Amino acid sequence: MIELEVRGVYKNFGGLQALNDVSFQVRGPELIGLIGPNGAGKTTLTNVLDGIHKPTGGQVWFNGERIDGFPPYEIARRGIGRTFQVTRAFRRMTVLENLLVPAMAMHPTARQRSFRDKAMEVLRFLTMEHLAKEYARALSGGQQKLLELGRLLMLDPDIIILDEPFAGVHPKLMEIIYEYITTINAQDKAFLIISHDMDTIFTLSQRLLVLDFGTLIADGDPTAVRNDPAVIEAYLGEDEEERKDA
Amino acid sequence: MSDHPVRAHRRITLPLKQARVQRWVGVAVLVTLLLLSPLYLNQSPYQMGVVTGAFFYAILASSWSLLAGVAGQFSFAHMALAGIGAYSAGLLGRDLGTSPLTGIIAGTLAAGFVGLVIGLLCLRLRAAYLALFTIAFSEIVRIILLTEFQYTEGTNGLQLAPLYEGITPLAEYYVTLGLLLVSMAVMYWISSSRFGLFLRAMREDQEAAAAMGVNVVRYKVLIFVVTSLIVGLAGAVFYHQVRIITPNTMEILQMSLIIAMAVIGGMESLLGAAIGAFLSRISLELLREINILGIHIELGAWRYAAFGLLLMFTLRFAQNGLLYPIIDRLFMRRVREETVSARAQTAEVEP
Amino acid sequence: MTGIHPALAIWLMLAGPIWAGIGAWGLPRVYRRKGLDDSRARLVGGLGGLTMGPLMVVPLWLLTPELKAWYWAGIPGMLAALQLYALFAAMDPKNLCVTNPQYVANQLSSGLTIGFIYALMAVGLTLIYSVQGIISFAHGQFYMLGGYISYDFLVLVGDVNPIVGVPVAGLVTMLIGFVFERLFLRPMHLGHVERTGEYAILITFGFGFFLQYTVLAAVGPFSQKAKPYLGMGSVQIGPLNLIPNRLVAAAIGVVLIVVLLYVLNRTWLGKALRAVSMDKQAAAVVGINPLTMNTLAFGIGTMLAGMSGAALIPVFTWVPWVGGPAATRSYVIIVLGGMGSVPGALVGGLIIGLVEAMGSGCYPDPSKGAAYKTAFGLIIFAIMLLLRPTGLFGREL
Repeated sequence: MIELEVRGVYKNFGGLQALNDVSFQVRGPELIGLIGPNGAGKTTLTNVLDGIHKPTGGQVWFNGERIDGFPPYEIARRGIGRTFQVTRAFRRMTVLENLLVPAMAMHPTARQRSFRDKAMEVLRFLTMEHLAKEYARALSGGQQKLLELGRLLMLDPDIIILDEPFAGVHPKLMEIIYEYITTINAQDKAFLIISHDMDTIFTLSQRLLVLDFGTLIADGDPTAVRNDPAVIEAYLGEDEEERKDA
Repeated sequence: MSDHPVRAHRRITLPLKQARVQRWVGVAVLVTLLLLSPLYLNQSPYQMGVVTGAFFYAILASSWSLLAGVAGQFSFAHMALAGIGAYSAGLLGRDLGTSPLTGIIAGTLAAGFVGLVIGLLCLRLRAAYLALFTIAFSEIVRIILLTEFQYTEGTNGLQLAPLYEGITPLAEYYVTLGLLLVSMAVMYWISSSRFGLFLRAMREDQEAAAAMGVNVVRYKVLIFVVTSLIVGLAGAVFYHQVRIITPNTMEILQMSLIIAMAVIGGMESLLGAAIGAFLSRISLELLREINILGIHIELGAWRYAAFGLLLMFTLRFAQNGLLYPIIDRLFMRRVREETVSARAQTAEVEP
Repeated sequence: MTGIHPALAIWLMLAGPIWAGIGAWGLPRVYRRKGLDDSRARLVGGLGGLTMGPLMVVPLWLLTPELKAWYWAGIPGMLAALQLYALFAAMDPKNLCVTNPQYVANQLSSGLTIGFIYALMAVGLTLIYSVQGIISFAHGQFYMLGGYISYDFLVLVGDVNPIVGVPVAGLVTMLIGFVFERLFLRPMHLGHVERTGEYAILITFGFGFFLQYTVLAAVGPFSQKAKPYLGMGSVQIGPLNLIPNRLVAAAIGVVLIVVLLYVLNRTWLGKALRAVSMDKQAAAVVGINPLTMNTLAFGIGTMLAGMSGAALIPVFTWVPWVGGPAATRSYVIIVLGGMGSVPGALVGGLIIGLVEAMGSGCYPDPSKGAAYKTAFGLIIFAIMLLLRPTGLFGREL
């Protein structure tokens, strides 16, 4: 079973306290939303979980192993995958090659041919199979987002962290991404989704984490969090005021 | 259905099997030509020497294109590493009386070791810093070799023994050609394997590659070591044929020449860089002096100036190399022409 | 100072590095654990440990004061220099640097003098980097070109003081810089070129290659030297044996630096350049055309390089290859000072001038010392890249 434990994580950037004693657990294939105002530390937390940053303090445990301080590729190989806020596809490589990279990285001894079928299947799922031989840079922004999601499928991690998956996507694409998340979640994968899209996040998540100025101010089910006064003040403040005046 | 109709583009493809056959046929033709040309060249040891030298440059340029074009590591230490290979062999031969073969092995390993150190040091350095560091490294090596002339013979040059007693230019030709073919085969194998896939991913976006599970540390160091071994070997062998090596080999200008050849031939294509270097070297030799309408002109350094100009225009207008279109058609890599403009590729992000 | 007991010598040699290691490894950790700013902890810990051993490391470990002030790194730095000197003196007591203070003073003054010209050239390079974001690998060739242009001009015009050659060379190199930037760099900024990172490195490299061989072809592998500014010979002022020729060159350097600083800080042009270097898009929004600024910055940069060359041709012998070591030196200076920082380039230039003078002057074998001149700077370069790539004044990239 999936077990991620974040214990008292601090992250300090030369005087700026980005994360302040953050602790939470993920058990099993939960679908968790991570919200908070800009600069609250959401991406920093992701970077710490992913190994791009080493926490200044605290520990991260995954499936019984302490992973804080591991390089990103070690963490990826152990089963935590992520997307980036600004899509980072491998531009001068084809879509197919983009998908092969994580697969080959995860299976050191296998040959490229064995993953082509799986890659095509993933592309079919994302309705992009006709783009297999296209260079990634020729894709539109939305298609590149899907490509990143496809790469995650090839990586086959236990926990998937999505950094602003809904940012700037049009409704059609949003449907595809929404379906992606629910389908994969049903296959026993946990999700940690950063988003500012309140409506989607509230309907999608089973659980919400709220970060404000590096501190975790709420952790619980969406309705409870939505009505939490601390959360309202820090993040949803506007709504409250409007409600009062209405 | 798809998110967005893919914009109009031009595709040039052959069915895969036909493309592959065509590719091997092309290679076979080239190799045969090279194997047979001594029949024609044998009349002139000078000409054979020039072609042999061109093979050497082809090895240097193609290995650099693997390091810089495919893996994205802009190292200017390439010539210095070749020099280290040659100097190690030469010094061992002179001081310990080792045979050229031992010297060559030692030189190769020395270059590989130095490449390892450079790779490790440069793990954290970004593109421009890597370039600067390797320039500084080449300069330090050159200065030391120059200044400690009591030990290294400085500008007079260190003498190296021939590969074996009584070696002929013909034999040297085939040795260098063999070296070229072997190193091209090795590099081609690397570039089309998972190693090559990872290198290209790392070149595109190292952080994203790491997030996808690619061990960027291991592969970055490995590519440095592999290319250093290749150039160290090439350097050791070649300078045994030239019989002498000076610190000038490590001048940045020499490195620039290799880079120019690789760029003009095609930086991301091993074959392009090799052919480009080969043709450049031969052209530069042929153009030493020309006779137009009975007038004899010594071109001297002007040919290099023109070469530099060619480099700049290639970079500006044919960034994939001058040989790219030819190689593409002959060897039928699957080509995707760019859609309307590069600028249109920016992601559409609504505010 | 001779005849140190071997055990003492070994202890002295090892203690420093060991404590440096402890400081550099441990101090950042301690600061991080306490949630404090650890950006300078490694530098201060390493240097402090190297020079003062436990005396520095232990108090810092326990009290963890804020390390922003200059003296935390500055004082151990100076101590390190002194200790290095003492060690050196102990090992080679007959060395001129140890026995002859006048010699040392002369070396220092000579290094400082030349340092101003180094600084001038480096400022040009760092200006280009700060506005365009690229390193010009052709900088050395512009320096070389400046010298030759001045020389040819002086030959053409006849009996004038070489000082006149400086603005002429500057003008020509600036124009060449403008043309090159316009033709080959602007397309990159406009997005007409694929793979801009690669292109930026290679195109300036290619231009340098072209300039180098063009000059070599035109001039031949012969050396030139212009008439000296004030005649040969030296002047004795106190303990210092000064060479007026060099002093004039240095003075030119100082004047140009002052003018440049004035332009950068007090004129609209300078402010516009700085604006673009900080944030291209923001500058564009307030009506500054980044493309024009790019071209100007490049032209000014190449002008400074050219004028450095022109300033030095009456002092040094010129060959087509002078550009190489000068360029390498400039790279060292901008990394030392911080890429994109003009004050950094200034300070860095002076430091490198001093390092080269002291290094080559004190090297046991004087002829080799001269040949190794650039190598001393390169050692600093390697250390900087490993310990603090952003340089002394650098912004976090």
